[in-house]
Amino acid sequence: MKIPVKSKPALKSVIVAFVILSGLTGNMESVSASGPQKTGNEISKANNQPNPKETSVKAVANDSKPMPVYGRWKNFTTKDGLPSDMAYTVKIDGNRVLVGTHDGMAVFENGKWRTYTTKDGLPHNGIVSIDVSEVTGDAWIGTLGGLSRWSGGKFENFTQLNSGMPNDLVYGVCCDGKDVWVATGGGAGHYDTNLKQWEIFTEKNAPMHEPWTYGISAGDGKIFIAAWGGGVIEYTKSTKKFRDYTDPDGEMEIDLLLNDGPVHDITTGTSWADGKLWVSSYFGLCNYDGKNWKGYFDTDSGLASNFINFIRAEGRVAFICTDKGLSSSDGTNWVTYIKNDKNADGKAIITTGGVKKEIPLSPSLSHNFIIGVDADKDFIWVATSSGVSRGELLK
Amino acid sequence: MTTIMKRIIWISVFCYFILMGQVSNLNAQEKKTNYGKASDEILPYDKFAKAYKYHFLTPIEFYGAGREKTALKDLKEVRIGFLGPLTTSVMVPQGIQMLQGATLAMEEANKKGGYKGLPFKIMPHNDAGLWGAAANEVVKMDDEKVWAFLGSIDDIVSHVALRAALKLEIYMVCTGDPDPTFTETNIPWQCRVISDDRQSGYALVNYIHKKKGHKRVAMIRVNGRYGRVGVKEYADAAVRLGFPFVIEERFNDGETDFKAQIERVRKTNPDAILLWGNAKESALILQQIRAAGLKQPVFGSDRMVSPEFLKIAGPLAEGIVTTCQYNPNSTDPKYLAFKSNYSKRFKQEPDVFAAHAYDGMNIIIDAIKKVGLNRVLIRDVIAGLKEFQNYPGVTGKIVFDHSWNDVSDIYMAEVRNGKFEFTVAPPMETGQRTGNGKKEPNSYTN
Repeated sequence: MKIPVKSKPALKSVIVAFVILSGLTGNMESVSASGPQKTGNEISKANNQPNPKETSVKAVANDSKPMPVYGRWKNFTTKDGLPSDMAYTVKIDGNRVLVGTHDGMAVFENGKWRTYTTKDGLPHNGIVSIDVSEVTGDAWIGTLGGLSRWSGGKFENFTQLNSGMPNDLVYGVCCDGKDVWVATGGGAGHYDTNLKQWEIFTEKNAPMHEPWTYGISAGDGKIFIAAWGGGVIEYTKSTKKFRDYTDPDGEMEIDLLLNDGPVHDITTGTSWADGKLWVSSYFGLCNYDGKNWKGYFDTDSGLASNFINFIRAEGRVAFICTDKGLSSSDGTNWVTYIKNDKNADGKAIITTGGVKKEIPLSPSLSHNFIIGVDADKDFIWVATSSGVSRGELLK
Repeated sequence: MTTIMKRIIWISVFCYFILMGQVSNLNAQEKKTNYGKASDEILPYDKFAKAYKYHFLTPIEFYGAGREKTALKDLKEVRIGFLGPLTTSVMVPQGIQMLQGATLAMEEANKKGGYKGLPFKIMPHNDAGLWGAAANEVVKMDDEKVWAFLGSIDDIVSHVALRAALKLEIYMVCTGDPDPTFTETNIPWQCRVISDDRQSGYALVNYIHKKKGHKRVAMIRVNGRYGRVGVKEYADAAVRLGFPFVIEERFNDGETDFKAQIERVRKTNPDAILLWGNAKESALILQQIRAAGLKQPVFGSDRMVSPEFLKIAGPLAEGIVTTCQYNPNSTDPKYLAFKSNYSKRFKQEPDVFAAHAYDGMNIIIDAIKKVGLNRVLIRDVIAGLKEFQNYPGVTGKIVFDHSWNDVSDIYMAEVRNGKFEFTVAPPMETGQRTGNGKKEPNSYTN
């Protein structure tokens, strides 16, 4: 992938960003640079090679290092080859990027988009979640009508009727070694790719109030399920035991104490990285370090909005997809990207120690309603309500 | 002073007082209300600490794209989805009534020309198929290109459908699910046009503990989400007044022998018994309570308000008090016309689900007529709390709170002479009454 030729305003933005960031955070060299510009995805999947996540973690794991800031945004819509402007999810996979949209899966490779639909074998055109197995390289695609394994150019489909899947609307998919986990409105599902067997977790065999699950992630030997009305369900793989985390006040209309647990029982996503579990909801954000919970609202942090569609943590940084922009945070410092209402420009708002600084961005994100995100060491890809955006790490 | 002058002065004075009355009404301060119309004394934690964050203070906006989209030009019909229990569910009779209420509204709209000459068409979907079927059905509605949809009754269905509605951006009008948590999701793609179990619970708490002065109440509820979530607001409010249940017994839908539960209730010697379940089981429990010799007053949830309950319970139903989301005996001409047209069309009396589905479908139709065929704009106009606030439905005025929950009047229903009679539930009184009707301070403040 080639970096687009920068326009003058974009160049100005980068210079301004560099100056401000240098002043704010001092050492910008801490942000990983890797020689010639690449997609950030050109990393071997061979077992003896560092995987992209680990590389990324190392790049940002040191507390003394500043928050990564992305600029030089490039936006893609149907005019550029996407099947739909409504983008639900995005996943970086080596040299290519997989984007789930309402009307098919778009794959960006060698600077071009290619669309896959039911005509190619997908179970449904609405693609809402994607993950890629680091073991096999297979892409697991959650659709509005079933789950699909994309392997060797072929789609193998799993539905409620032809397999033991809990429900056909797959809100979340997560690859964890040989296992694939899904979050659906009919429960969480676990597929053992070796045994080719499904296991379903609902309120009948897990501490869920209801079987409605909408997000799933793996880390620290555990699976974390975002359960609608049930907070977070933690499953420890070694013991096969569950534990649930809910808001202790037990009321939907309030959060009694900020740091007493999840900020709300209606959770929308989980992501574990760097020793911290991040949990999103439509009511705010929180994280858990294994001992203490910490809550965040848009009124007391740099969070763009309390309405969070999705969350993904990479290293110490969580990328938070809200309805009013993209936020990122290490729990203390915040960078929020917002597009202007009336033009393609926008800004990055950097909040450190309660002090806010703004960096103009030209252009900015494609839209402020953010639904999906993925990042590696050099690039961030964002799925929005109106197009897909790619940002480049400012070095 | 001439007679004319005297008349002018009298008329002036008369006009002055009339005007003052009007002005004072205009300038009257809106009464502060708590979330869910809760009285101060039952607000959670309020006596001890203020919450760090209060939700639902303002309606959440939808900031996504899509308002610029235009409908296809070759449309043949305007499709509106319907999600309800139509087969393989104990709630099928209610689902059929719901579909009929929605159908009547649609047929009436089509007689008036539909939408710019295009007929409205219901796309019915059964919500009781495979586990989590509601999600799959909403996906099908998206494939069918419905502009909005109406549903459902079962709260498990409604929640699953709502999350899919958000993903697919289809506005959902809930007309039959009383689960308070349905609207407490912060999803800006829904509204509910029927009172919820929070309102029912508060009305019953007020009636049982404040008006009747009962302190020791035994609960017998259905095992399942309707029972568990339905009684929660009652139970929480009662605890805050100092009256936790003395016992909570459960049963399953379809059970017919409740002797074991009733025997355990007897041992607690309660002042009153509260039933929370469907009509049939509630009537059978009432029969067996009386057969066991228990004479305590019995109260119940709104699903008792049905011909089935009266038929099974017979004379034992006399004096039973419950709640109802509207007044089925209303003499409002609009309601009477609906009742008459419905009875002629479907050869049966409308029930609560039919009446609210009729209102819900009319709201969707009116929204489309106002803003056209665009899902986001349909959402905007209903959720905007302007055009559809105080909507005059056949079930009464629909009043939305900031979570788009219907917090309009709820009714107390009492069986008298073999029929339910309905009165508007009064707001919760402050202070408590003893069994003798004497007021005393709230015990939990002591």
